[in-house]
Amino acid sequence: MSFKKCRDLILGIVMLAFSVFYLVFSQQIKTRPKLTPAYASAQIMPKLLGILLAVLSVICIIQGIRRLKSADSEQEAENAAKGDKTAVLLTFAVIIGYVLAMNAAGFILSTVIYLFLQMLILAPADKRNYLLFAIVAVVFTAIVFVAFRIGLQQLLPRGVIESLLGF
Amino acid sequence: MSTLQLIGGGFATVLTPTGIFLMLVGVAVGIVFGALPGLSATMAIALFLPVTYAMTSSNAMTLLMALFIGAISGGLISAILLHIPGTPSSVATCFDGHPMVRKGQAAKALGVGVVFSFLGTIFSTVLLMFIAPQIARVAINFGNYEFFSIAIFSLTMIATLSSGNMVKGVMAGVIGFMFSTVGTDAIEGTARFTFGLTSLKGGFDMLAVMVGLFAVGEIIAAAETSRHSDEVVTQPSMKGIRGFGFTMKEFCSQGLNAVRSALIGMGIGILPGIGGGTSNMMAYTVAKNSDKHAKELGPLGTGRIDGVVASETANNATIGGAMVPLLTLGIPGDTTTAMLLGALTLHGLTPGPLLFQNQADIVYGIFAAMLIASVIMLFMEFFGLRVFVKLLSIPKYILLPCVFVLCVIGAYALKNNMSQVIACLIFGALGFAFKKLEIPSTPFILGFILGPLAEINYRRGMIKTKGSFMPFLTSPISAVFLAIAVIVLLLYITKPLRGKRKAAD
Repeated sequence: MSFKKCRDLILGIVMLAFSVFYLVFSQQIKTRPKLTPAYASAQIMPKLLGILLAVLSVICIIQGIRRLKSADSEQEAENAAKGDKTAVLLTFAVIIGYVLAMNAAGFILSTVIYLFLQMLILAPADKRNYLLFAIVAVVFTAIVFVAFRIGLQQLLPRGVIESLLGF
Repeated sequence: MSTLQLIGGGFATVLTPTGIFLMLVGVAVGIVFGALPGLSATMAIALFLPVTYAMTSSNAMTLLMALFIGAISGGLISAILLHIPGTPSSVATCFDGHPMVRKGQAAKALGVGVVFSFLGTIFSTVLLMFIAPQIARVAINFGNYEFFSIAIFSLTMIATLSSGNMVKGVMAGVIGFMFSTVGTDAIEGTARFTFGLTSLKGGFDMLAVMVGLFAVGEIIAAAETSRHSDEVVTQPSMKGIRGFGFTMKEFCSQGLNAVRSALIGMGIGILPGIGGGTSNMMAYTVAKNSDKHAKELGPLGTGRIDGVVASETANNATIGGAMVPLLTLGIPGDTTTAMLLGALTLHGLTPGPLLFQNQADIVYGIFAAMLIASVIMLFMEFFGLRVFVKLLSIPKYILLPCVFVLCVIGAYALKNNMSQVIACLIFGALGFAFKKLEIPSTPFILGFILGPLAEINYRRGMIKTKGSFMPFLTSPISAVFLAIAVIVLLLYITKPLRGKRKAAD
C-alpha cells in the first residue's frame, strides 16, 4: 500500500493519538480554583482544543477509509510523482549536523562546510561544479559574517577561525 | 493633530537619508525575492528581520514595507518573461502577460504591469490612510467580547478559505492554537505543557515558528525535486525594451478595469485568510467575464493588456487592504502580515487601536513608506529590469542553501543562542510533513498567532460575566462576527450536500 493512498488515514490516527496525549497533559495543568473559576481556568482552552482535534481526527479517519475503498485512489497513487528521498534525508542530515556543529566549530567553518555540502546535495549530477560551489560557500560566508558581525554587531557562534581573526 | 499634520510627520520620519537608503535596498531586494520562483514576500521579511533588530522601529518598518511592496510587484517579471509566477500573487499575470511576449509585446506587458502595480499600491495606500484611522476610532471601544469574536471569525475564515480541504484547514488551525498554549499561562501564571523545560516557559517564539515553517520547510521540500528538475531558466530577449510601451489611449481604456480590480484587491486584502494569491485570480476572472471587446480583440488569455492590468492592480492593492486589520486590530490576515506583526512586536509595538493614539508617528511613517516605496518600485523596475532578469538565472541549488544560512542567523539572533535555531528546525520538519500530508500551513500560523488573542479575551470575558456566554452574543459587533463565522462554517459543511442535490436535479 502506498503512502499517498493511506495518507489521510495515517494523518487521522496520528492526530487522534496527539489529541489524547494533549488532553492527558492538559488535565495536569495546575489551576487556581480560588482565584479563577473553572470556566476561565488555564485548562479550559486546552481541553476544548483537544476535544476539537479528536473530533477532526475521527472525520479524517473516516475520509481516509472511504478513500481507501474508492477505486480511483489506486489511480491517484500511481500518478503521484516520486520525490527524491535520498536528497531529502541528506538535507536533513547536513542541516542537523550544521546546527549541532556550530557551537563547537564556530559560525564561519560550519557555514562554509554546510553550504558546500548542501549545494552538492541539491545540484543535479551534471551541474556539480566543485570549484564554483567552494567559491560561493567561502564568499557568501565572508559577506554574511562581515555584514552581521561587523556591520550589525550581531554576535555569532565563535570557533577556531573566529578567534584567529580576533572576534 | 490634524490628519494633514500627521501625514506630513510621516513623510518627515521616512524621508531621512537612512530611510531613503533603506527603501532603495528594501524595494530592490523585494523585487528579486518576488521575481525568483520559490522565494516570497514572507521569506524576504523573515530574512531581513535580524537586520532590523538594531534599528529604530520606524526605520525597521520602512525597510519591511519596502520589501513587501517590492516582492508583491516583482512577481510580474518572471510571470511575464518566463511564464512562471514568481509568487502566487502573480499567477493571473501569466495568462495574458506571456502571450503578449510571444506576440512581441514584452515591453508593453512589462510596462503595463509595472505601472498598474504602482497605481494599485498607491490607490490602496491612500484608501488605507482614510479607512484605518476611522476603524481604529471605533475599535478603541472594543472589549473582550469583540476581540474574542473577531479572532474566532478570522480563524474560521482562514481555516475554511485558505485550503481546499476544510477538515485539514481547521485541523491546521487547531494545532497552531495548541502550540500557542505552550508556556506560562497569561492569566493564572501556571506552566502549561512545558514538561519541566525552562526554555519552554516563554512559549515558542512566533518568528522561529514562522521562519521554520515557511523558509526551512520550503528548503527541505525543494530537495525532493532539485536534483531532477529540468527547469532551465532561459534568458528572455530584452531587445527593444524601451519606454513603458503603451499609449495614453490604451492607458485610459483600462480605467474601469483598474478601479474595479483595485477595489477587489483591497476588499480581499481586508478579509482575513485570503490574500494576494486569490485577489489576482478573482480580479482576472471578473475582468474576463465583463469584457466587452472579446470580439474585436480576442478573449482574455490571448495576450491583452486587460489581463495584466487586472492581476497586477489587484495583487498590489491587496497590500493596503491587508494592512487595515493588521494596524487597526492587530489581526494579520495572511502570512506576510503575520511576519509584519512579529516585527512590530519585536520592536515593542502592539498593533491595534491604541497604536493610532500612542504611536501615530509610526503608523503614518508606515503609510508614507508605502507611498514612497511604490514610487521607488516604479523607477527601479523600469530602469533596472535587465539586472533583475539576470538574477533570475541563479540556480535554486545555490540560492536555497544561502537562504537557509540567513534563516539560521535570524533565529540565532532572537536569543543569541542556539535554542531558537533548534526550534526553527523542528518547525521546519513540521512544515515539510505538512507539505507531504497536504495540510495548509497558513491556518497553523494564524492559529498560533490568533489563538492566544481568542483565549485571553474569552477567559477575561467569562470572568467579567461570571460564567455567562450571553454578552458575547448580545454585543452587536461581537454577534455579527460570530454569526458570519457560523454561516461560513455551515456553508462549507453543507457544500457537498448541496452539490449532490443539484446533481440529482
